[in-house]
Amino acid sequence: MQQVPLDDTENSGDSLPRFLGSHQPLQPGKVTDDELIFRQLFAQDPKRGCELLFRRYYTNLVNHAVRFVYSKEVAEDLVAEVYTAFWQDRVFERITTSYRAYLYQTVRHRSYNYLRWELHPSDSLDTLHTQGISPALQPDEVLHYSELHQKIEDAIQSLTPQCKRAFLLSRIEGKKYLEIAQEMQISNSAVEKLMIRALNQLRQELKGEWFISLLLGLVTYAF
Amino acid sequence: MEPLLIKRIVFDFFDGKATAIQRKYLEEWLTDEANHEAYYQYLDEWESQRPQFSVDAEKALTAYQRVLEDDQPTVTPSKVLPVSRSGLFQKWLPWGIAASITLLGLLGAYVFRTQILYETHRTAFGQTSEYKLADGTKVTLNANSSLRVPRFGFGNKTREVYLEGEGEFKVTHTANNQRFIVRTADRFQVEVLGTEFVVYARAKGKRVFLSKGKVKLDLPQGQQLYMRPGNVVTVANSGRYRLTQTKTARPYVAWKDHWFYFDNTSLTEVADQIQEQFGIKVVVPEPKLAQRRIAGNFRAEQADDLFQILAELLTINVVKKRHYIELTTPKHP
Repeated sequence: MQQVPLDDTENSGDSLPRFLGSHQPLQPGKVTDDELIFRQLFAQDPKRGCELLFRRYYTNLVNHAVRFVYSKEVAEDLVAEVYTAFWQDRVFERITTSYRAYLYQTVRHRSYNYLRWELHPSDSLDTLHTQGISPALQPDEVLHYSELHQKIEDAIQSLTPQCKRAFLLSRIEGKKYLEIAQEMQISNSAVEKLMIRALNQLRQELKGEWFISLLLGLVTYAF
Repeated sequence: MEPLLIKRIVFDFFDGKATAIQRKYLEEWLTDEANHEAYYQYLDEWESQRPQFSVDAEKALTAYQRVLEDDQPTVTPSKVLPVSRSGLFQKWLPWGIAASITLLGLLGAYVFRTQILYETHRTAFGQTSEYKLADGTKVTLNANSSLRVPRFGFGNKTREVYLEGEGEFKVTHTANNQRFIVRTADRFQVEVLGTEFVVYARAKGKRVFLSKGKVKLDLPQGQQLYMRPGNVVTVANSGRYRLTQTKTARPYVAWKDHWFYFDNTSLTEVADQIQEQFGIKVVVPEPKLAQRRIAGNFRAEQADDLFQILAELLTINVVKKRHYIELTTPKHP
């Protein structure tokens, strides 16, 4: 099958400042769009490379992570940690894929670990913060991630309105239980119960969704 | 197939609208490794078209820039005090200088306020230390940890300390039943009267083990929790916590005598502990090896002791690289 050329109209590196002179059109079949520029930049100034990589992908990555972890705070922390390790552990020197593929894979992987940890209290902290260069995923696993977040979305949508509201107020708007209680005019313990119920339902809906055996193999590099 | 058509199928798939036939097709398409790049490119494009809430990227970027710049930001006085070019310039100049000196002094006091207000005990990688506080409380700090104790007023009204890392506290009960509070990052705190417990507060999460007496935990979300002897509370960075009961204190206090306590511990977790304890990065590139589990108690004052044990126990190679240490299985001829 032939490689996918870049359709420059929709997906140019327009969020990137043109720091390397004119933006030359890349020939199709090469590593695509911004990637080449990033690669050149990293060769010269890795610090600046990290910063621009952050500007380019941070928002989208948070947006992606939140589909799995369903908490704004956790998603933001998780993505920031990936970037921090990217710089501090000099991951950029060792990756074989594009920066974009690496970032998305790692964020998915970490989100998955977090979710599994949150919903499976028997696991210990040790899988929570592993970070590394994943070997290429099998096609089915790549697709499974998308199906997992769709399933999570369905589960959230199927919560009772009250339950859903409390859950979103807490996890997306970052409100404290006390504030939620006031806003919804219920007691503090009722909020707690709603949160527990939401998580339990999520746990039930996602039963059998864990492709643990596949993913354990990906906990490759331990820092 | 046409790239545009593939892109449409991928987008449909992300939206959860793909048919089984389309899914099968994508699976085949992804068997070609080269297509993974296109897949993630589409994923990024798809995400940028479906924002869910406003992300404060600027704030996060500022934090990240701090990570990128290791050194402290310097204060430039010219930015603090704009000098006017009016006729009054001459007259006010001395005052301006005086004001900027005062401002600099205040800024300095502000920047170094922690050093002025607190006495900080810090342990290096691989080192544990014991301290006795003014009220008689004994603290043992694990490696790579710090304890901040207020220079003024400690023991007058409250007894509050700040911990980063891991430490064991043997708190003296005072005659006036004064509370002793251990604060950690993220509004997590442990409150006691007089008792013995171990607090772990690092990047991975928080953990408290109580050996004697009773303690109260204040969790970030405003919840409170009372612990009994033998209880272990683990708190993830999300604020979610778990309370378990342990029969033996050993795993939680073994570090005091430089012992490592492994109980069905994966090599991944062992590598984590080495990093926390000795500040040495350990990489296990083989997934199978990373999953191997170890049990037993090992004494290691230096990272090398532990590497030697691991090498013998698992018959693996320990290879020193520029920025990290790599553990691999030896290749048989």
